[in-house]
Amino acid sequence: MVKEDFNYPISLRVAGLKEKRKRINHDLHLDFERNRIITEYYKTHKNEYPILKRAGFLYTWLTTREINIDDDDIFLGDGGPHCRTVHFDVEQTPRNWIRGCFGDTDERFRAAWQVPGSIWVSDEDRQWILEAADYWEDNDIAATALGIFPEEFAERAKAMPGSMYGTYPGHFNPNYERAVTVGFGECRRIAQEKLAEIQAHTTFENVRSELFYKAYIKVCDGMILMSKRYAEGCRQKAAETADPARKAELLKMADSCDWIVEHPARDLWEGIQSLFFYQYLLIADGTHWADSPGLIDSFLGPLAEKDIAEGKLTRDQAQELFDAFLLHIGDQIIMFPKPSNDQLIEAHKNGKCFFDLQGGMQNIAAGSLITIGGMKADGSGGDYNIATEMILLAYLRLKVAEPSLALRINQFTPDRIWAIAIACSITSGGMPQFNNDDVVIRAMLDRGVPIEDARRYAVFGCVEPAISGKEWSMAANCGSFGAGCGPITILQYVIHGNVDPMSGRQGDLPCKKLYEYESFEELQAEFERQAKYYIDKMARTYHFAALTFATAWPVLSASMMTEGCLETGRDVTWGGATYNGMGSMFNAVATIADSLTTIKKLCFEDKTLTTKELYDALKNNWEGQELLRQRILNGLPHYGNDDDEADDMVRWFTNLWADYYNSRPGVNGGTNNCGALDLYWVWGGMGQWATPDGRKTGEALSISSDPRQDCAKNGPLAYVKSVAKMPWYKLRCGGAINVRFDANSVKGDDAIAKVRDLISAYFRFGGLQFHFTVADTKVMREAQKHPEDYQDLIVRIAGFSAYFTHMSLPDQAHYIQRLEQQF
Amino acid sequence: MEYENVRGHIYDIQGYAVHDGPGIRTTVYTKGCPLRCLWCHSPESQQHRFQLGWLDLKCIGTELCQNACVNACPEGALSVAEPTKRTGTEELVRKVNIDRAKCTDCLKCAEVCVTKALYVSGWETTVDEVYDRLMKDVGFFENGGGVTVSGGEAMAQFDFTYNLLKRLKDKGIHICLDTTGFAPTAQFEKIMPYVDLYLYDLKHMDTRHHEKLTGVPNELILENARFLAAHGGALQIRFPIIPKLNDSVENLRATAEFCLELGDAVKLVQLLPYHKAGRGKYERLGWKYRLTNVELPSEDFMQQALELFQGMGLPAQIH
Repeated sequence: MVKEDFNYPISLRVAGLKEKRKRINHDLHLDFERNRIITEYYKTHKNEYPILKRAGFLYTWLTTREINIDDDDIFLGDGGPHCRTVHFDVEQTPRNWIRGCFGDTDERFRAAWQVPGSIWVSDEDRQWILEAADYWEDNDIAATALGIFPEEFAERAKAMPGSMYGTYPGHFNPNYERAVTVGFGECRRIAQEKLAEIQAHTTFENVRSELFYKAYIKVCDGMILMSKRYAEGCRQKAAETADPARKAELLKMADSCDWIVEHPARDLWEGIQSLFFYQYLLIADGTHWADSPGLIDSFLGPLAEKDIAEGKLTRDQAQELFDAFLLHIGDQIIMFPKPSNDQLIEAHKNGKCFFDLQGGMQNIAAGSLITIGGMKADGSGGDYNIATEMILLAYLRLKVAEPSLALRINQFTPDRIWAIAIACSITSGGMPQFNNDDVVIRAMLDRGVPIEDARRYAVFGCVEPAISGKEWSMAANCGSFGAGCGPITILQYVIHGNVDPMSGRQGDLPCKKLYEYESFEELQAEFERQAKYYIDKMARTYHFAALTFATAWPVLSASMMTEGCLETGRDVTWGGATYNGMGSMFNAVATIADSLTTIKKLCFEDKTLTTKELYDALKNNWEGQELLRQRILNGLPHYGNDDDEADDMVRWFTNLWADYYNSRPGVNGGTNNCGALDLYWVWGGMGQWATPDGRKTGEALSISSDPRQDCAKNGPLAYVKSVAKMPWYKLRCGGAINVRFDANSVKGDDAIAKVRDLISAYFRFGGLQFHFTVADTKVMREAQKHPEDYQDLIVRIAGFSAYFTHMSLPDQAHYIQRLEQQF
Repeated sequence: MEYENVRGHIYDIQGYAVHDGPGIRTTVYTKGCPLRCLWCHSPESQQHRFQLGWLDLKCIGTELCQNACVNACPEGALSVAEPTKRTGTEELVRKVNIDRAKCTDCLKCAEVCVTKALYVSGWETTVDEVYDRLMKDVGFFENGGGVTVSGGEAMAQFDFTYNLLKRLKDKGIHICLDTTGFAPTAQFEKIMPYVDLYLYDLKHMDTRHHEKLTGVPNELILENARFLAAHGGALQIRFPIIPKLNDSVENLRATAEFCLELGDAVKLVQLLPYHKAGRGKYERLGWKYRLTNVELPSEDFMQQALELFQGMGLPAQIH
């Protein structure tokens, strides 16, 4: 069998663009332009109706922002004034961070923000933002929220002044396809018609929509003007350029920019460029965390095929456009989480940059997840085309960690796409993730989505499926502010009598201590009672969060293109989207389930230990009880070994959580969608007391829905089978198995076929999403010693991948430990 | 049932054994082998009886378990060691020393070891137990996968292997038998209907060398290969290349010629470059690794060997 090596070289031009981005990482800029415009506009238009105010700000930004055209880039512009501008939004940024960083001593401020490697902030910008922070004190989203949320939630809200999460809700995939293939001109025309209809029959019910359409039209005008400003910029640049090839290219770009945005894209370059122009708008509106462009191959593929058929592009030229697209979509950087001066100063001392501080969170900075493949709405066949393949090849060859990539798998997935995708995942650190259409579509049908739309889902964020271009999928992402009680804390309450031993904080529901329960069933019932109480509390906060946005913080940029908004005259935050969802993730499945199994086995079934003895051991953080701890780790059933006893506990917990959360009333008439994902198991574990599964105080929690690697001893098949036993179709908001292979097990001519067989088997068993990484711990130890030589080493974390050398030391250590304990 | 009294000794069952035949496979590793190949990478498989294994990094120190293993040993073979670091920590603990001369493999210490740092290399089992365990993985066996029975030498526990394969074949499971070929021909004749593919080792074509390297002559092995080929068996030849011991051009050529002689029965020849991955296992058993002077074959050499096999018209690969 001849094996095709998909690792075709990238063009010199793309290689240059990639190098350029590495350089820019050490010379970044914070986005003050957008923040100055919004602050100025909101200060001077205090009483304008919220959606008109939003439109006014966006229009001002679109028509006055700096038009940046770099000398060598294939696609134009950026969400900010520089290539790879770092975005944050002043009206949503914790003020203690702003004051901590910029109100610091001059010396420390300079060491953090004005040395080589910094995200550059000038003295003038520093002064300005401190004043702006004062203005936003009583005018920001959190201020609105505090006026809306009931007293019971306000305490925690006040503990996070200025922010509910530090970013806008994000987590949606607006209809990029409409932006690219229909255009703002046609949308504007429809809005005009709708506006005229309303104005002819104004009622109290539709008057809000009149304002929506006015805002909508204003942003359409702004977008069309921005594109024309880029056209003008290209012509100016062309006039200054001596190189005839670049001059011709710029003039061609100018012609395109005069056409696109207003009109449908005519070729692949125009399609990708208009996609970016829309993305800039989304970023300026709010640094939406993890918005996603949906099923991009399904609208970019036909443009590429047409260009190639008409001889306008060779295959290599089309591939170069996809390569450049991938580099540029990774340029959209959102600052999350926010680094402190201490962290920055320390990093700069060691010659590191902002990205080195992201602790594996860099991907979220880029904020996008691209979904490719899938099936046609009528179910008659697969939706794979030349773009599907070229996007995979771009990832395989460029080895970038951002944005994430999701591939949809179904009966129609071509062999060649399987092969490239697996080869890509082997060489590029776990991209793409594989999504099982059968299970996702079933989950969508359970939500009440018609089959034609269910077949057109895309994945956003890390692992979350939503109906591409038609859903406001995280309708109240900031809503968990206030509830603050995950399943692991509930476990602590149930063991320690409604007290979290780490913080000493009391919960809301008094209950027994571990040694007071008469039976395991009683303990389980208490866990269930607490879980339902806190899920209710959390689900309740979502409505207040949704109301906060609907009151004063419309998301007009998403409403421009999300299906349903233009049709109904409603912003997404008022329920304009065709579908609404509110996802919520639970975590630490193995820690919880294995803990419950331990209590059940040791204390109630085998009775080799009393509940008091176990309680005391936990209370003392296993001090003096190492033997008992080892007995639990080595002698008891654990999730991940295809052992029904342990796996049933996982099912019990998942069914409880998912059924109850999914059944709570959703936001905007939509559904609640439960998922299983965690990005903070190391950090989260630091704040958790010892647990009965043998985990010590402060040790990492288990990851998302994965078994504990060190307790999964029966090899990959048992591991995969155990995880597949979860009721994945109820996890409508996603959740993946993370499988790590050692380099040896993916060697050989038939390795790709064997990995495919394993993924296919997981999907046949009912699994939802499959991530795998090939990792060799020897290489990682080398990378720790010589990070400069391993800048391209990417590892799959949970719902996303990250550059290994950018992870924090504890995260690196934990990752290596996990690997060394595998199978 | 005819096999209800048949018991087998195995030392592992592994899912996703990607190197043991086509598709996704689960491999049963049996204990006991008539050969003693110098490069053997699974020394725990050589003896049929169970031995005491020792995995240093799992020991948490005798202070914590109050010398459980030392106290359990009737022979005085275990003693408390000088303090060393507990793996992964800075903590100094006193692990154990094993005097292998005194140890009789009674395995009483392994019974009391909570962390399983002291463990038994293998367990006694029945055909049904192994069958039930293997059938848990049946959902993975689409696209040509199945079960591989390996060793040790699975044919050395013939009744067990025979009955296991028969039961699996009744369920239509694809079966690979990984064998040294060193077993009575009559037994191969009997087991043939239940084997889809033999992973068949050839180690040296010169019987005197073969005996030096493996402890047994090669006539029976070659004879059985011819027998299987003549009676419709499908063979995947596995040829471990050990520098200086069996990598002479004459031996490569002779091996290739023998494969040609077997004709269509040979589906694939896998050239396996010598590796040292099994060395740690010797330490766990308290044995000495004997091939300390042998280096890994170079990639160039492997490529030349591959070309030699392919040049003679054989379907070959480096594995």
